[in-house]
Amino acid sequence: MAAILIGLVIGLPWLGAIVLWRTRDETPRLQHTLAVAFSIAAGVASLALIPFASAETVISFPMGRFFGSLTFTADGLAVTLTAIACVIGSLAVVFSVDYMRGEEQLSRYYAFVLLFIGAMTGLLLSGNLLFMFFFWEITALCSYALISFYNDDPKAVAGGIKALIITQVGGVGLLAGALTTYATLGSYQISDLLADAGKMPAGILALVAFGVLAAAAAKSAQFPFHTWLPDAMEAPTPISALIHAATMVNAGVYLLARFYPAFEHVPGWKLSVTVVGLVSALITAFMALTATDLKRALAYSTVSQLGYMVYAIGVGGVFASQFHLLSHAVFKALLFLSAGAVIHSAGTRDMLRMGALGKQMPFARNVFILGALALAGLPILNGFWSKELVLEAGLDRGPLWAYIGMLLGAGMTAFYTLRMTWLVFFGEVRESLHVHDAGKAMKVSLGLLAVGTLTTWLLAGPFGEMLHETLPFHSIHRLNLSELAHEIFTAPATYVALLVVAFGLVIFWMVRNQPTVKNEAWMDFLSRESFGFDWLNRQVAARTVQFASVLQKTQTGVLSWNVAGILGALLAVLIFLVWSVR
Amino acid sequence: MTLNPLNIILFGVVLLLAVGFYGLLITRNLIKIVLVLQILVKAVVLALVLAGKASGNLGLGQSIAATVIVADTIVAVVALALAVQVRRRAGTLDIARISTLQG
Repeated sequence: MAAILIGLVIGLPWLGAIVLWRTRDETPRLQHTLAVAFSIAAGVASLALIPFASAETVISFPMGRFFGSLTFTADGLAVTLTAIACVIGSLAVVFSVDYMRGEEQLSRYYAFVLLFIGAMTGLLLSGNLLFMFFFWEITALCSYALISFYNDDPKAVAGGIKALIITQVGGVGLLAGALTTYATLGSYQISDLLADAGKMPAGILALVAFGVLAAAAAKSAQFPFHTWLPDAMEAPTPISALIHAATMVNAGVYLLARFYPAFEHVPGWKLSVTVVGLVSALITAFMALTATDLKRALAYSTVSQLGYMVYAIGVGGVFASQFHLLSHAVFKALLFLSAGAVIHSAGTRDMLRMGALGKQMPFARNVFILGALALAGLPILNGFWSKELVLEAGLDRGPLWAYIGMLLGAGMTAFYTLRMTWLVFFGEVRESLHVHDAGKAMKVSLGLLAVGTLTTWLLAGPFGEMLHETLPFHSIHRLNLSELAHEIFTAPATYVALLVVAFGLVIFWMVRNQPTVKNEAWMDFLSRESFGFDWLNRQVAARTVQFASVLQKTQTGVLSWNVAGILGALLAVLIFLVWSVR
Repeated sequence: MTLNPLNIILFGVVLLLAVGFYGLLITRNLIKIVLVLQILVKAVVLALVLAGKASGNLGLGQSIAATVIVADTIVAVVALALAVQVRRRAGTLDIARISTLQG
C-alpha cells in the first residue's frame, strides 16, 4: 500500500505535467481543471501516506552496479515534508486559477508546477543519495523555469539564471558528497551512510559533511548564498509561495536534518551550521527592515526564518527545526498568497504606493494579519510554538552569543512584520489604487492556510512521536502537547523572547506614522547590496566571462591545432599511466 | 620486448596510428583528410582484433571489427560525397579557406 502511495505522489504530478504540456492554450478552463485535479489527487495521496510512515525501505529497483538501487523510504521526516509539498502545492495551484486567469502559456506554467511537485516528493522520499541529487537538480530546473516564466521581462530572466547558477554551485557539493560516500562505503543508500559514518576516515567524512552544508545553504538561500532568493521574486506569486517559501527552499534544511546523525561529530560542523543560520537570520532580517517591495520583504523574511531552522539543527534541535519548518511553510504560504491577492489587484509590488488597502480587501487583510502574527511569533499561532521551541533548544544546547543573536532577530522580525502589514493595509492612503478583494479560488486556498496557521501546532505531539518512531538514527526530543505547553510556558526563555518581540512591536508603533521616512543612507546601501554579496556575485560572474573570453582564443577551428591538442592529451595520459604503473 | 606475433601486430597498430595522426596534423585537403581518417580506423580495426586475441575473446573482437568496417565504409562514402559538394560550391578543397569560424 505504501509503495502504491509513493508511486502516486511522485507519479501523479508527473503524469499531470505531461498531460498539461500537451494541452492547448485555447482551452484555459480545461488546463485549470486538469492542474487542480492532478495536484489535489497528489495532495490526497500524500496525506494518505502519513499513516504508513516507517523506517523500512518500501520500494527498491536495482539499477545496476554504478547507481546502486533506486529506493524509496517513507519515514516520518519524508512523509511530513511530502504532505507539505503536495498540500501547499495543490493550494497554490487552486490559487493560480484566479491569479493566472487570462495569462498566456498556461500549459507551460502548470506543467512546470506539477513537474516540480513530483520532483520535490521524489527528493524527499528517495533513499538513494545519487537519485536524491537527480531530483534535487530537477527542482532547481523547475524553479529556474518558473522564475523566468515571464520570459520577455529581462529582470525575470536574470533572476532565474542567478537562482539556477547559485543552486548549481551548491548541487556540486551534494554530488561530491554522494560520490565520496560511494567511493568509501560502496553504497549510495542514505541509511548506510547514517549507520556507517563512523567507519569513514575523518577527513573524508568532513568533506561530505561540508559538501552537504554547502548544498543546503545554496538551496535554502543561506549565507553566503542568500542573494538569489530576493531576485527570484520576479516569479508569479503562487510560485513564490510554493517553491520559494514553502517547499524547495526547505530542501536544504531537510538535507541537514536528514544527515544530522552522520555529521554531528564532525569537528566544527555543528558550529558552522549554527553560524550560517545565525548570520543568515540576522542580515536578512536587517534587509527586511528597509525593503519597500512587498515580495522582496517576504523573501528576506523567508531567508531569515530558514536561518532559524538551520540554527536549530546546528544546536541539535532536529525536532524543533522540522516543527518550525512545518509552521513556516503554512504561514509563509499564507502570507505570500495573500500578498499575491493584493499585488494581483493593485498591480504593483511597491509598498510605498499602497496604504489603507485593508478597507477595500478585508479578507486578504485578515488572513495577512493572521500570517503576520504567526511570523512575529505571537501566541497561540503555530509560529509562536515552533519559534519558542527553536529558541529554547538554542538556549539549552547552543552557545549563548548565538542565542542572543537569534533573540535580536526575533525582535527585528516583529518590527518588519508589523511594518509590512501597516504599510499595505493601514495608515493613510498614499495613492488611490482601485483594488478588489480576493477571488473565490483565492479565498479557498487562503482560508485553508489560515485554518492551518491556527491549528498545525496541535500536531506537535503526533509529529514528534512519528519522527521518534521512524528515524532510527536520530535522537528526537519528543513531547506531547501538554508537555510542550508546560515546557514552553514555564521556561523563562519564552518570556524573554516574547518581551523582545513586544519590544520590536512597540518600537514600530512609535514610528508608525513615518514608516516611509528616509532610511539611513548606510542602511539602504547595505540592504541594496546584500551586505556586499551582490557585488561579490557580480565580480565572480564578470571574472568567469573574462576567463571564458581568454579561453575563446583557443577555439580556432583549425584542424591541425585540434589534432595536436588531442595527441598532446593522449601522450599525457600515456605518460601518467606508465609512470603510475611503475 | 620479444618478437611474438602479438607484438608485431601491436607495432602495426602504432605505426598506422602514427601515420594517420601525422596526416591529420599536416593535411588541409578534404579528400586527404578522409583518407587519413580511414587509415586511423584501420588501426582501430586491427587493434580490436588484437585485443580479442589477447583477451581470449577472438570472436567478440572480430565481430566488433566487422561492425566497425561496415559503419566506417558508410562514413567514408558520405564524407567523400560531401567533399565533392564542397568542391562544387566553394571551388576549393582547402579546409582553411572554407572555414568561417571566427576565433
